Amino acid sequence: MSLLTVENLVVDYGHIHALLGINFHVDEGEIITLIGSNGAGKTTALMSISGMVKKTEGKITFLGQDITVMKPHNIARMGISHVPEGRKIFPELTVDENLKVGTIANPRYEKQRSLEARDRVYTLFPRLKERLNQGGGTLSGGEQQMLAIGRGLMMEPKLLILDEPSLGLAPNIVENIFELITRIRKDGITILLVEQNASMALSVADRGYVLETGKISLEGSGESLLVNEEVRRAYLGA
Amino acid sequence: MDYAISILVNGIVQGSIYALMALGYSVIVGITGLVTFTHGEVMMMGAFASFYVFELFGSNILIGAIGSFIVCGILGIIIYKVCYERFLDAPRHIALICTIGASMIIKNMAQIVFGPNQKPMFGIFENQLIKIGPVQLSVLQLVILAIVVILALGLSLFFSKSKYGISMRAVSQDKTAASLMGLNVNANALLGNVIGCGLAGIAGMLISVYYQAFQATMGGPLGMKAFSASVLGGLTDSRFAALGGLFLGLIENFGIAVSSASFRDIFAFIFLILILIFKPQGFSKKGGIKL
Ligand SMILES: Nc1ncnc2c1ncn2[C@@H]1O[C@H](COP(=O)(O)OP(=O)(O)OP(=O)(O)O)[C@@H](O)[C@H]1O
Ligand SMILES: [Mg+2]
Repeated sequence: MSLLTVENLVVDYGHIHALLGINFHVDEGEIITLIGSNGAGKTTALMSISGMVKKTEGKITFLGQDITVMKPHNIARMGISHVPEGRKIFPELTVDENLKVGTIANPRYEKQRSLEARDRVYTLFPRLKERLNQGGGTLSGGEQQMLAIGRGLMMEPKLLILDEPSLGLAPNIVENIFELITRIRKDGITILLVEQNASMALSVADRGYVLETGKISLEGSGESLLVNEEVRRAYLGA
Repeated sequence: MDYAISILVNGIVQGSIYALMALGYSVIVGITGLVTFTHGEVMMMGAFASFYVFELFGSNILIGAIGSFIVCGILGIIIYKVCYERFLDAPRHIALICTIGASMIIKNMAQIVFGPNQKPMFGIFENQLIKIGPVQLSVLQLVILAIVVILALGLSLFFSKSKYGISMRAVSQDKTAASLMGLNVNANALLGNVIGCGLAGIAGMLISVYYQAFQATMGGPLGMKAFSASVLGGLTDSRFAALGGLFLGLIENFGIAVSSASFRDIFAFIFLILILIFKPQGFSKKGGIKL
């Protein structure tokens, strides 16, 4: 059984049709990537899963439960942690408080456990530990991305959704982020990844879907998409 | 010299009550992201609530404070349900106009139910003076200062240390991110309104006890003063709001001293207009509740 299934998802923003009926699924333990050009509807698809946008049609199932019309905070509490496009750090909370927010709503929350989770995040990102009392808004872009991912991990999710985690980061930091993604998966967390950096995304992903103006035009294993002629021409600049 | 010190003391005491109104105001605006015009009427209801609590349970200022906090907290729930809940994502003027309507309804209902006339408030403390060096103040003034300081410190601790406080600050800074982290934005905004209105209720009690009078129409100028004081902090920064309140109390009392007591409100509004002309965004940089 899939961890997450999206069936025939249609989303409209007023008269703009953002998604025209897409289907995809994420199995437990996988890294899945959605790639596509600007405005293809990737963020909309992720926001639909988290309950942040209204769906015109379709059904979304997580852990066998229909979450199509569930409230965003309840979806998050079921174990979906969504690190949104543009990071959305709480600018006036300190680094430590930002991380703490990740555990507050966790139904499995216990003080001891949350301290352990925080220590794990600080081991993963020593730079954050050095800045734990600094305001989130004063961090550099890369540090904010680390904080956003760390905050997402504090929720102890079953599914981690990452919307363009490498956006605006220096190449060596981008590599760190992708390395991190594979490491997070080893800890048993399933990952749904949206990326502009298609070659990187496809090389870490088990499977991928290509989204083209609201429709899924191609799907397949990471390797097969990486060598696909169309994908290479449109997204890999080859 | 003694005269100047007594004006200073009066200004600080009055300013501390204004600071409390402004604290509540900044919490509400911070969490909902929308301006409110019901704050004055909530204070009026706080004054009435305390009056009946004093009548029923005796003249104890702490019980009065608890009573007005509870009554106004409940009023805060109603105001939130009517004016905000469905309009958090709507254009800002919708909730704003709704709060203006709610304030008129509350004021007019109060006039119908309690009558339009000014009523005398219970005297809670003997008119005893305490001397600390050259400073002379009444027991009542000392108690008012103590209550406001304790509430302000408590609020600050609540927002910096408790998980509810941290969630509320997160919600006030980014509602999308807060939802994605599993926080119930609606419940947090509701809690913010309960706290903000509860504090306004206590401020209303303090004002009526301080002036020994209260009436159904007292809310108008008070609401405008809470707004004026909060403008200093861009409406959401509690520290600047509290400072603004204190400042307002001082301006008023020194202004009265050089003119006449009937000009009291003029000084507050000159202050508001000057701030809006020269520093309309306030002295705080970013949005959201701040300590
Ligand atoms: N809130 C909104 N209101 C109206 N239209 C929107 C809204 N959000 C997105 N859209 C439109 O929906 C379409 C899909 O947008 P979406 O943000 O999902 O694209 P994306 O694939 O994430 O793009 P990018 O790679 O640039 O992030 C676009 O045409 C966009 O203009
Ligand atoms: Mg996007």
